[in-house]
Amino acid sequence: MKVLVTVKEVAEVEDDFEIADLDVDPRYLEYDLNEWDEYAVESAVQLAEAADEEVEVVSVTIGPERSEETIRMALAKGVDRAVRVWDDDIEAAEFLDVASKVRLLEAVVAEEDPDIVLSGVQAHDTGFGATGVALADAIGFEWGAVVNALDIEGVLNDGVARVHRELEGGIEELTEIDLPAVLTIQTGINEPRYASLRGIRQAQSKEIAPKTLSDLGLDFSAVESELFLTDMYEPETESDATYFEGDAGEQAAALASALREKGVGAE
Amino acid sequence: MLDYLGLEADLTQEERMIRDEARRFVEEEVKPDIGEHFENGTFPMDLVPKMGELGFYAPTIDGYGLPGVGDRAYGILMQELEAGDSGLRSMASVQGALVMYPIYAFGSEEQKERWLPDLGTGDAVGCFGLTEPEHGSNPSGMQTRAERDDDGFVLNGSKTWITNSPIADVAVVWGRDTSADDSPVRGFLVETDRDGVTTNKIDDKLSMRASVTGEIGLDDVWVPEENVLPGVEGMKGPLSCLTQARFGISWGVVGAARDAFEAALDYAKDRDQFGGPIARFQIQQDKLAEMATQITNGQLMAYRLAELKSRDELRHQHVSMAKRHNVRMAREVSRTAREILGGNGITTDYSPMRHLANMETVYTYEGTHDIHTLVIGADLTGIPAFE
Repeated sequence: MKVLVTVKEVAEVEDDFEIADLDVDPRYLEYDLNEWDEYAVESAVQLAEAADEEVEVVSVTIGPERSEETIRMALAKGVDRAVRVWDDDIEAAEFLDVASKVRLLEAVVAEEDPDIVLSGVQAHDTGFGATGVALADAIGFEWGAVVNALDIEGVLNDGVARVHRELEGGIEELTEIDLPAVLTIQTGINEPRYASLRGIRQAQSKEIAPKTLSDLGLDFSAVESELFLTDMYEPETESDATYFEGDAGEQAAALASALREKGVGAE
Repeated sequence: MLDYLGLEADLTQEERMIRDEARRFVEEEVKPDIGEHFENGTFPMDLVPKMGELGFYAPTIDGYGLPGVGDRAYGILMQELEAGDSGLRSMASVQGALVMYPIYAFGSEEQKERWLPDLGTGDAVGCFGLTEPEHGSNPSGMQTRAERDDDGFVLNGSKTWITNSPIADVAVVWGRDTSADDSPVRGFLVETDRDGVTTNKIDDKLSMRASVTGEIGLDDVWVPEENVLPGVEGMKGPLSCLTQARFGISWGVVGAARDAFEAALDYAKDRDQFGGPIARFQIQQDKLAEMATQITNGQLMAYRLAELKSRDELRHQHVSMAKRHNVRMAREVSRTAREILGGNGITTDYSPMRHLANMETVYTYEGTHDIHTLVIGADLTGIPAFE
């Protein structure tokens, strides 16, 4: 059995930042593994640990070389190997929309032929929340979105993902999804482990295979986005607060006349 | 996090990952209730197996289920643990450097296989018995005696200021073998459930409160021959363990100082007085600049120590200098940080005064500040002041 986990290195913005062109100035960004993906990785590793037969856990990411450190943390937690898709054309693409990402991931799925794909519900930075389900549609897999409980035995023994899905208003839906399937994993489904020192050591020698568009049988058209960023700005915070100076009596008088001006109360 | 001269940029990816995970562990598992443990005088026992699972005990040993990381990675780990609390770093120091290290370095293969895997996971807890009520800075004056009988030894004596003795499964006890010529110091592995062993807890501490400290009483305790550490005789046994542990202290206290500094810096930027943050006052900036400089000094010493250790060029006098310098630095920094926090600084809500109280222990344990001064003095002049 093979589990493919899609992971993403996300940007975290510092409290004080500036915008440069169409993005937050990179000087104010730090990078980390997407929080939802941490839970997806944990689910995948738990599947492998519970299985009697060999379960290979492969993670795939779209990201520059810098993201290897983040990806390696997933390897330290038990992922067997990783695939990292990147090249100059992807670098040059202004914006990777969901369709572009799906085209790349679809090609990786074709190479890896997984039985189950786990993905975080959404990415902390871009927040489309669509990559997992769009991928399922593209590769013809069943899917379950916003999964907050997964029966591991069912996946391993019956080829069925019995899942709880979190719906609006605190409602939980219990669904059985036949494999192969894509599940988008919600935070809180498990308790992501810390990487042990042994795991971190072992991760240094695990493979992160770089793949270019041409390695995947694609060309630059795969990352031609139909979605463009047109602007990025901090919304003006509107504040109409007036502070009335003086002692309590003066403040009350000022408040009364302000209210009267607004038409509050009888003349 | 303060790393003013960017030393952490030179870490390997493996070392950075260890730093990040240890930091996250302390942030999530330690900081939320360490203040309460300090107040109650309890050690967070649930962390014993958790730290074992992550490989925090004696991680430089390769084999016996241990990860075998480098000296600098070990230092970074101690730094992050002590940013949580000195009690946590002490737990890891004692288990790793004072119990697992001597078993690894001086033990028989049977002793290693019996103890290292269990101590590594935290399934067993160890302690180190050297200091005695009448013999602190001069441990070679120890009165603990081992007398040979048919197939083992009978131990008598008492040890005190023993981190973890009340929760330990095994104690590495150093005593004089009176049956041999010149009564050499030998190391004994004493299971704490043996007849005649008592491990009373010391309760009235004003420092290092989130750590278990006790005594070891040995009243005609018999241990078999195979419990003697075969590989070492004399004071170099316990002293070499202490060099390992002090290396960890030299790194650890940089973490405590950094944590106190960060708390003070945040507070100074946040605390409004006279119409703005107190961080705008020169008197606070002077304190912050001085703290940052002193921490960076300590950090440089720690990094250099790791470099020398990995080249096998580290002398114990080097470690004395770094332990002496860095603990004094952390003591001063945490006190200054406490000042910046004003009245809020004396509560357990903030870390600086907890670190300050802990530093009072660290200042005089594992070789007092003054004795380390004399060790350096002896090294420089060739004239030992304490012989």
